[in-house]
Amino acid sequence: MTTAVEAPAAAPVARRRRRGGRSPWLHVVMIPLTALWLSPIVFVLFISVRSFDDIAARGLAALPTSIDLEGYVSALSGGGLLRALGVSTLVTGTAVIASLLLSSWAAFALSRYPIPGRRGVLLAMLAGNLLPPQILLVPVVRISESLGLQDTLLALILVQVGFGIGFYTFVLHGFLRGLPEELFEAARLDGAGALRIYLTIVLPLSRPSLAALAALATTWIFNDLIWALTILRTETSFPISAALLNLMGGFGSSWNVIAAASLIAAIIPAAVFFMFQKQFVSGLLVGSSK
Amino acid sequence: MTTHGLSRRILLAGAGLGAAGGLAACMNTSGGGGSGDEGGDGDGSGEIVFQNSIQDPAPKAAIEALVADYDQPVTMNSVATEQYRAQLTNYLRASDPPDVYSWYAGSVARAYASQGLLLDVSSMWEGDGACAGFPDALRTLSTADDGTQIFVPTSYYWWSVFFRKSAFEEWGVTPPETWDDFLALCETLQGQGIIPLANGVGATPWMSSGWFDYLNLRINGAEYHRQLLAGEHAFNSAEVKAVMEEYAKLIPFMDPDMMSYSNQEAATPFAQKKTAMYLVGAFITTHVPSDVVDDLDFFSVPVINPDVPTAEEAPTDGYFAAAGSDDPEASLAFLSYLAAPEQQQRYIEEAGSSNLPTSPDVDSSGFSELTKKGMDLLATTEEITQFFNRDSSDALQTTADAALVRFLSEPEEVDAILDEWQAAAEQVWDS
Amino acid sequence: MTSAAAPARSLSASSGATKGVRPPAPSRRGWGARLARVPLVVWVMLAVPLAVEAFWVFWPAINSFSLATLRWDGITPAESVGLQNFVDLWNDPIFRTAAWNNVLWLLFFGVLSIAGGLALAVALNKPGRGVGIYRAAIYLPMVISLAVTGLFWRVMYQPDGPINSALELIGLGFLQRQWLAEPDVALGAILVAAVWRQVGYVMVLYLAGLKGCDASLEEAAAVDGANAWQRFWKIVMPQLSGVHTVVIAVTVIDSLRAFDIVWTMTRGGPYNSTQLLSTYMFQQAFTVGNLGYASAIAVIIFLLAIGFIITYLIRQARTEDPA
Repeated sequence: MTTAVEAPAAAPVARRRRRGGRSPWLHVVMIPLTALWLSPIVFVLFISVRSFDDIAARGLAALPTSIDLEGYVSALSGGGLLRALGVSTLVTGTAVIASLLLSSWAAFALSRYPIPGRRGVLLAMLAGNLLPPQILLVPVVRISESLGLQDTLLALILVQVGFGIGFYTFVLHGFLRGLPEELFEAARLDGAGALRIYLTIVLPLSRPSLAALAALATTWIFNDLIWALTILRTETSFPISAALLNLMGGFGSSWNVIAAASLIAAIIPAAVFFMFQKQFVSGLLVGSSK
Repeated sequence: MTTHGLSRRILLAGAGLGAAGGLAACMNTSGGGGSGDEGGDGDGSGEIVFQNSIQDPAPKAAIEALVADYDQPVTMNSVATEQYRAQLTNYLRASDPPDVYSWYAGSVARAYASQGLLLDVSSMWEGDGACAGFPDALRTLSTADDGTQIFVPTSYYWWSVFFRKSAFEEWGVTPPETWDDFLALCETLQGQGIIPLANGVGATPWMSSGWFDYLNLRINGAEYHRQLLAGEHAFNSAEVKAVMEEYAKLIPFMDPDMMSYSNQEAATPFAQKKTAMYLVGAFITTHVPSDVVDDLDFFSVPVINPDVPTAEEAPTDGYFAAAGSDDPEASLAFLSYLAAPEQQQRYIEEAGSSNLPTSPDVDSSGFSELTKKGMDLLATTEEITQFFNRDSSDALQTTADAALVRFLSEPEEVDAILDEWQAAAEQVWDS
Repeated sequence: MTSAAAPARSLSASSGATKGVRPPAPSRRGWGARLARVPLVVWVMLAVPLAVEAFWVFWPAINSFSLATLRWDGITPAESVGLQNFVDLWNDPIFRTAAWNNVLWLLFFGVLSIAGGLALAVALNKPGRGVGIYRAAIYLPMVISLAVTGLFWRVMYQPDGPINSALELIGLGFLQRQWLAEPDVALGAILVAAVWRQVGYVMVLYLAGLKGCDASLEEAAAVDGANAWQRFWKIVMPQLSGVHTVVIAVTVIDSLRAFDIVWTMTRGGPYNSTQLLSTYMFQQAFTVGNLGYASAIAVIIFLLAIGFIITYLIRQARTEDPA
């Protein structure tokens, strides 16, 4: 955890340039704020290394007096959590790649070709993303059943893709629309077809946007609970969010186990973010300026 | 151009499907343990799928051990209770539903049965069936509106006022005999700076129904209580107001932090001897540190109105099976296995949850003193109810939660609260 | 705009000669001609994602919305009640509380996380000692799921938990509350947790946007004597308009989806005072078993979301291209 936190610090510091004499006020404000911001996480870290009996005897707010990894051992015992982590990684990876791929297609088509009613199509796609997922639960179960896909990760991935596409398309469309038309015109004059333009211009140029969206999509899909529980019913194919919830139910008062499991579950999205961070922050995301 | 384009489109579609198929194959193998996939073309191979909401570590380990020792393969899936409740209908309605389910007896099971979603288990209740020797009260509880049995009760537990023996010794007090004793005891403890009554109605607002149920049972009796929950009396009636009057007397004795605690969290100050007495189910034993369990004792809520029969709350847990089960015979066999005295006994001993067996044939000599005392309590009481939601519905429980939790913080508003409760309850009964 | 935009700019400069070739202006006449200009492969590229979304989202949504005119518990046969569910909603005090809470939530969650995220992005835009650590720290909560966030904060808000202990320690003991148990502060307490998680994400989006801002414009304005405040509002903010759209879309989506965090922290209690439309809908659908009524609530949520987003988009589209 700590290494992950500190790693990104190196990059900006290395790139430090121009007047180093910046106001100390930044640090005066930011150091306490950062401490405050991290305090819930640090606090959970403390809980995770206390024993159940210690928590029960001295209460939650007490500081740990000794390190006890009982919580981590219980959370990882049986391998359920690790397997769930694997499932989550598989589902999230596949769904993120598939939804970004499909969204980039749609965004390309909508932003670069005179498709009739394209603004309406775009808004409709975005609107789909605004539906409260809870209300789609019952019909989605029936649909996945009618396809014989009930209780499969494929159905879960398809729902995640379908449900995310609208928003990703919307964002990518904003970006692609901001690219100069001359770029495409030049390619067309060179005889490039739509597919080649997509492969040689759109995909490379939107890489930073895609990275930013990938980080967002990862946090959304990785942490999803409601779809997973709706579509899946076999415990061995539960993703981490559902496994965590099972743990919470089972270890309701074993805060150390829950804390340990929560921290384990957060490792993957944290790693993804810090991996993408450079691209993310340097990436332009939307067609922010014209 | 057209043909070219068309063929390309077909090709693309084909590729898409192919990719999907490949993906599916990949998912299935990585689903783990080969048991991951019972979807799709369920061929009724006899493998039982056992869906349950059992998550407490010890009970879960106990049921896993039972399942492992069953002579047929069983796929066991545990789902967090709240989500399990939400998914149960989906499970039962699926074209290839899981076979056996853990749940509780009562109105919900009956509602499913009335729609033909549950397997008829009457054969288990006849002749030398696994449930044939169960008490009549349990038979009634497990019977659907059409007279068939659809539920297999395997354990139940009792509610009472729990306390720590060593704490009572320290404080120089003894369990009360009468209601006035009880109130006096609360007074005494409060005088010593101890919070008399533990409670946790924050994340678990239904805990507020515990005292409501008991006071209603003690003041108006079990008969009235059942009728009230069935909509035959009003929540703003004089009888209920009398209950609330008694309830209001308890509020000053309750933990002021109860609104922030869940029932599990409230067990912590109780274990720390900061709170003295806790009206809660016997599952309290799984929520306190292991060394406190042996120190636990309980007494029944004292009699208030001597004219009504004695009554205790004893929620019953068990199993039912889906009507759409691939292999009803195998499901019945598995249910019979779970209901058999040996398995009940083993489950209770290994789960450590102070559950009581439903089978009269279970050898209880190895049970803890606490559990034996619980069995005695239920054996001697005249009436048994379950709990507010199990005696009515989860829908009515939400109306009770809102009304009673508000009552706990604004007892002076009791009349308005009861009127609102009645209005909300009428909507539930009408729908 | 950095790496991606740089080649684009140089290219557009070099192709200045072909200035006459503008993007195909959408004309109202000649649909056939317009359609012909769209290659088949592009149609496929649009159709596949659209089909996936239509099949997994629109179709179930239509199915589900049609439930809003029914009285149905999911088990017994449904009964058609027309618009009665909406009439009942109008008279349902809990629904009104939930709707009002949702408006409050949308406003405060939106304003606090956007203002906080933007302020932090501006403060942490320029690289410097410790800036990377600050950014990482602010973002870190985002990787924790809402359900777990709710759990973390439930611990923080315990009566004997760290927040009350800290207040005691700094002599503000009189501010101690049972944060999640008192109806007048509970929603705010949950909101703090939700904002805690969201600010980092908004900050990162704005950091990305600020990178794309043209620094020379700001420097020119500085030369002209504009102070930092004026530069920010007149130069930087307009350049962020694209990011604003995304941030607002994310915020509205996330606030109407706010469910897990409330569910884990209070379940809508104490006595429905923290009920949001999403939690009330879930409770109606799955605890109480009123699927029709719950669908009616879903319709309202959907209309609210659409209302917010579409209004914003239309307004924005108007300012962008008056055509």
